[in-house]
Amino acid sequence: MEQFEQLLTCAICLDRYRNPKLLPCQHSFCMEPCLEGLVDYVRRQVKCPECRAEHRIPYQGVQGFPTNVTLQRFLELHIEITGELPDPTSGQVMERCNVCSEKAYCSYCTHCDKKICEECKGAHMEILKREISRINNQIRRGIHRLQDTLSLVEKNAQNIQTNCLSVGEEVEEIYRRLNKALKDRTEYLRGEIDRYLGTELRSLNTLKDNLSQEISNILSNCDLADKHMNENTDIWNDCELMDAKEIFLKTVEFIRNFEYENTDYTRRVRLVLAHDPNQLVLHVAGFGDLNIAGGTHFGQSSGLLQPPGGPGLMRSKSDHRLASQFRQAEERGYGDRGYGDTEDQVLGGRKFGERPKERHTDRYGRGGGTDYGEDYDHDSSRPSRSKYSRFRRHQTVDNDSDTEQTSKVRFNEQKPEREKTLDTEDVTRGPLSGITRLADSPTVMKKMQDFESGKNKKKDEVPPPQPTPQPKVVPKRPPPPATRQVSEEDEISRIKKLNKGATTSTETATTETRPVERESTEERQRKTPAPEAAISSNEETDESVTPLQQTQRKTAASKTATAATRRASDAGHKKSTRSASSDSTTSTESSTASSNAIRTTGAPFTTEEVKQKILSRTDNTSGVRTRSGSGSPKESPIQKPFQSRFLSKPAVAPVAAQNDEQTESSSEEVTEEEESEEDTTSKPETREMAKTDIGPLLARSANARDSSAENTRKTGPEDSYAKSKYATKEEPSRYTRSRPTVADDEPSRYGYTSRFLNKSKSTAAIPPEDDDHVSSTRYSSTADDENKYPASGRSRYMALKERRQRLARSRSSQQFGDEEEQDEPISPTSSNPSAYLASRGYGSAASAGHDLSRSRSSHALKSRETSPDRSATAAAEKDGAALSSWARYLKSKYGNRNGAKDKDSGATSATPSSSSSAAARRLSLGLPLRSSTELASSDDDSKNMQGSPTTHTVATAAAGIAQAVAGTSPRSQYLKKCQQLFEIGSRGSEPGSFTWPRGVAVGPDNSIVVADSSNHRVQVFDSNGRFLKEFGQYGNKEGEFDCLAGVAVNRIGQFIIADRYNHRIQVFDPSGRFLRTFGSQGTADGRFNYPWGITTDALGFIYVCDKENHRIQVFQSDGTFVGKFGTMGNKEGQLEHPHYIAVSNTNRVIVSDSNNHRIQIFDVNGKVITSFGSEGSDEGQFKFPRGVAVDDQGYICVADSGNNRIQIFHPDGTFLRAFGCWGIGKGEFKGLEGVAMTPNGHILVCDRENHRIQVF
Amino acid sequence: MAALPRRIIKETQRLMQEPVPGISAVPDDSNARYFHVIVTGPEDSPFEGGLFKLELFLPEDYPMSAPKVRFITKIYHPNIDRLGRICLDILKDKWSPALQIRTVLLSIQALLSAPNPDDPLANDVAELWKVNESEAIRNAKEWTRRYAMDN
Repeated sequence: MEQFEQLLTCAICLDRYRNPKLLPCQHSFCMEPCLEGLVDYVRRQVKCPECRAEHRIPYQGVQGFPTNVTLQRFLELHIEITGELPDPTSGQVMERCNVCSEKAYCSYCTHCDKKICEECKGAHMEILKREISRINNQIRRGIHRLQDTLSLVEKNAQNIQTNCLSVGEEVEEIYRRLNKALKDRTEYLRGEIDRYLGTELRSLNTLKDNLSQEISNILSNCDLADKHMNENTDIWNDCELMDAKEIFLKTVEFIRNFEYENTDYTRRVRLVLAHDPNQLVLHVAGFGDLNIAGGTHFGQSSGLLQPPGGPGLMRSKSDHRLASQFRQAEERGYGDRGYGDTEDQVLGGRKFGERPKERHTDRYGRGGGTDYGEDYDHDSSRPSRSKYSRFRRHQTVDNDSDTEQTSKVRFNEQKPEREKTLDTEDVTRGPLSGITRLADSPTVMKKMQDFESGKNKKKDEVPPPQPTPQPKVVPKRPPPPATRQVSEEDEISRIKKLNKGATTSTETATTETRPVERESTEERQRKTPAPEAAISSNEETDESVTPLQQTQRKTAASKTATAATRRASDAGHKKSTRSASSDSTTSTESSTASSNAIRTTGAPFTTEEVKQKILSRTDNTSGVRTRSGSGSPKESPIQKPFQSRFLSKPAVAPVAAQNDEQTESSSEEVTEEEESEEDTTSKPETREMAKTDIGPLLARSANARDSSAENTRKTGPEDSYAKSKYATKEEPSRYTRSRPTVADDEPSRYGYTSRFLNKSKSTAAIPPEDDDHVSSTRYSSTADDENKYPASGRSRYMALKERRQRLARSRSSQQFGDEEEQDEPISPTSSNPSAYLASRGYGSAASAGHDLSRSRSSHALKSRETSPDRSATAAAEKDGAALSSWARYLKSKYGNRNGAKDKDSGATSATPSSSSSAAARRLSLGLPLRSSTELASSDDDSKNMQGSPTTHTVATAAAGIAQAVAGTSPRSQYLKKCQQLFEIGSRGSEPGSFTWPRGVAVGPDNSIVVADSSNHRVQVFDSNGRFLKEFGQYGNKEGEFDCLAGVAVNRIGQFIIADRYNHRIQVFDPSGRFLRTFGSQGTADGRFNYPWGITTDALGFIYVCDKENHRIQVFQSDGTFVGKFGTMGNKEGQLEHPHYIAVSNTNRVIVSDSNNHRIQIFDVNGKVITSFGSEGSDEGQFKFPRGVAVDDQGYICVADSGNNRIQIFHPDGTFLRAFGCWGIGKGEFKGLEGVAMTPNGHILVCDRENHRIQVF
Repeated sequence: MAALPRRIIKETQRLMQEPVPGISAVPDDSNARYFHVIVTGPEDSPFEGGLFKLELFLPEDYPMSAPKVRFITKIYHPNIDRLGRICLDILKDKWSPALQIRTVLLSIQALLSAPNPDDPLANDVAELWKVNESEAIRNAKEWTRRYAMDN
């Protein structure tokens, strides 16, 4: 049998024959690739590998050789006998793989849009998986942001609840007070009136009595006189008559004189009001308005939730890509079709795991029209396939501009099998991001199940543990009545349930709500007031299920129900929000009424109302959120269900028809109760308001005002309904508007601004680094808060003071670099050494010195406040959670430095200083840090701090500490160079040995970092050449190298490595752990062809010599492509094989233009400043210059590799010195590569062929 | 780097499973195309008892082109030069894709048994071999003892 098999094995590929061709010599070989590979195309003949017979190739090529039919029969027979599977590739034709150019059985790779062979495809899938896992890690790292936001939102919800409660109480209180005051006053006034009336009446009555008595008296007198005092009667004596006459005269006089004071009794009480009653009523009616500061507040929080642009996510390149993808999708989606199209989803409207459609139908026809036809029709709005693909490519290219070769992140491609699964549409999407839940996708579920079952099959004996939990969950969910679900595979739904069960915080709640969900069909929801729904929603919200979680656990199948519950949960979630927003109405009635409504959580309303209300709330109250959130097509899911169900028609319908539509649907939706109360006149009004182009919020408040007379309960749903409609209608335009908003928001929210700001601020700012950047700026915002710092009150005070001084100082010391201004409070006038020392005024007393040093060390942290990055450091140091590795690194570093400084201060404090007042000490606080670092040069900071050479020398000289370096100017120092100080390494692969070392860089604490190229690793040595550590190995995975070349260390100690043959840049943290990679082979932006030298500037930008592309590329520290310059050529600004690069602290970019035998100096924008050198071996001439380095004075060191010497140039490019020659001895070189200059003036030289680093 | 062709994988597997007597070929850990080979000196030859180290590298277009083989252990042989390069027709123009690593190594082993001074690479050795074969054989034995029997 074995021999039989051997007979069926092709001698070339050692595999089973595939399409065996019979040569005239009777030997058979596979047609492809075996026989093909044997063809001598020049002589058009093939030589038999077995017998070396040469045969002419038939006219049609090797195909023309007869097929060995017998052998084929045997093959078939063998298959029959052994039962082995037929070769899957039989019948296929080999093609050239579009990636590796090997002939193979190619199939389509969605990753790269090409037909490629299995191996490449496997590799691509590997890449994708790796990418996914990496992105996943990023997500994991970033998810806390969402969680933070979640807790923030929860907190906000709580806050707003308490806030509204207190405000409500306040209102109540005021109402009570006003009420009481009014009542008291009224009672008082009433009492007064009564009292007044009583007294007045009394006096009037007595008057009345008196008058009547008077009248009667007089009348009786009159009568008497008439009767008895005529002439006839003389019964009266004179005396009596006289008296009578007197009385009568008096009476006449009285009557004549009596004047009733009319005014006294016509007087009336009038209520005099201090204020115009109308005004008063107005005042009272509007006794309070609610100032809703929440607008910005919500905007902010929603901004955080904004999915694609989320600051945390945004910072990683792949998420850039996602974001841009979203944006593109959005543009496309809203450009040519209505909102809500599936096209706007993450996968571009495809279902998960589905292949992009057109290609199959067109190019292969293999997929068959049945499967793809529909989709294709659906997509027919797209002009043509080619355009589509071009678009895709554009997308890719665009993504590439984000500098990632791995840019084609398409999560969907994880599963290459295309599965036409309609129900995938139902998978739960995140309400904010629209990210589908993979676990809900039937494709994925099937996969998982297959996987599981496969596993189970493998371990047949062991009963799989999976089934047990399944039945447990199943009973909890009665079989769904939804037809769609029924049609689904039972298994899938079960898994779905499982998944759901897993995510729900409490399963019981789910089971409780589910029946309700399922029962409530669309109609029911619409017609019946559904208190149950409200109740269930309450329950759900009680579990503090935020919409995010909420939606997560929704099944696709119970979509309608989902909508209801989600809504309900939203109701709970938005409770507080709502009350806040409803307060914008002017009438007090309305506010109380609506808050009542809130308290009952819309129980008296129909579901519809609740729904509408919530919808409106999400639109209105968080208007900012929708607007900014609309940056992605996914913000909609919250609204989408409603929209599609209730508003899809109006949304699509022409505006003219909308009025009718609206009344129709609104009457449908508003309860009877409300309809009876409805004020029909106000309704169109509100609607009209809603239709005008004012923003939803405005429209809303306007509505509220208009309908304030109305029953407020009605107003709420009514106008919110209008609003929701409005919102839908407005969507497209809002989306267009959203773009700028997002853009505007970005800077403030993300770190990028500060990065750019820093740039523009030039030296003032220290570069915030990398991914820590975001956090750093975040911290920096709070950094000014002194309390952030874990320092004693005293040192805090000092820092404050010191800063003030610094500010004052900066005015007088403008010629200093900003950096110096910050840290060097010494004014230029005091550059006299003694004055300098005196002004520093170190404490003379020992105790004072001790005290001083302590405060200074805390100050070390403090003094960094001004720069965002430093403050971040400090903040990070405080914040243990945020203590990432770099922060730790910084901490230890600064800690070290403090120690060094203490020593230094100890030394200087010995110098007698007569007056050491507290003020002088404080003044000195800024100094020691700087001077010590300057002198000890133990810090890469010092690289960036010198504004000009003179200040440096002055300062160092002034400090007057006997340092070998400090006393001499760099010029003289370099002039002395030629004697090798020491060397590191020899050939080998053990630690401390090298095989063709190339790049060299100076790391923190003057450590020496070497790219040990052919050992595929980075080695780190301390400043004395003692081996510290190594990392990396051969390979193309993360953290692996293939002949790395350049190495650079940025300000925070991260290693940046040009992984040459992998055509990428890798970044490692200070401990050598892989952080990220970017770039791949290619000529596009952000791609490389043998990247060689690399460097980084003070701002953290990464400069890469893209050697074979003859250009320099610049990246942000996170790998985002910033720019490029240089093209192939020998003119000014052109490059030919640039090898190494260095950036001075004055931002001069120095490039060794190797094949042009010159050094070119660019500014950061790629404009040539100067260039020097030509081919030759004279001074100042080069032969293939390679390594370049620049010190903090601007002196340039060039590894003149062809001449095997080091040349040093003045900052202006004039020759200073050269040393070295060919050889293997000390100070001799064979094949120079990178050079580096340490802050203390040493020159590190990579002596490649001698496999060593030499230090001069 | 393209993946390893199936043929190389198969050959490697077979070399491991059915090793050729007197020959061991182990692929390098980091490069599956690079083999560390040890060939024992054939019996009845001046190289008997020696263990000769070779390196074998399968080029990119293997099996369409011959593997590169070189002696690492110094050997006194007319067809093997100072640097260990081998003069063997199947490693040059007579290469055939039907040959394999094992056949190549067997051929090399055979070459040790049958030196061919008429097609020399190391001229001085070939000269001596032709002029004074016993002397040459003695030298070969001496070299074998000195370089190929140490460990």
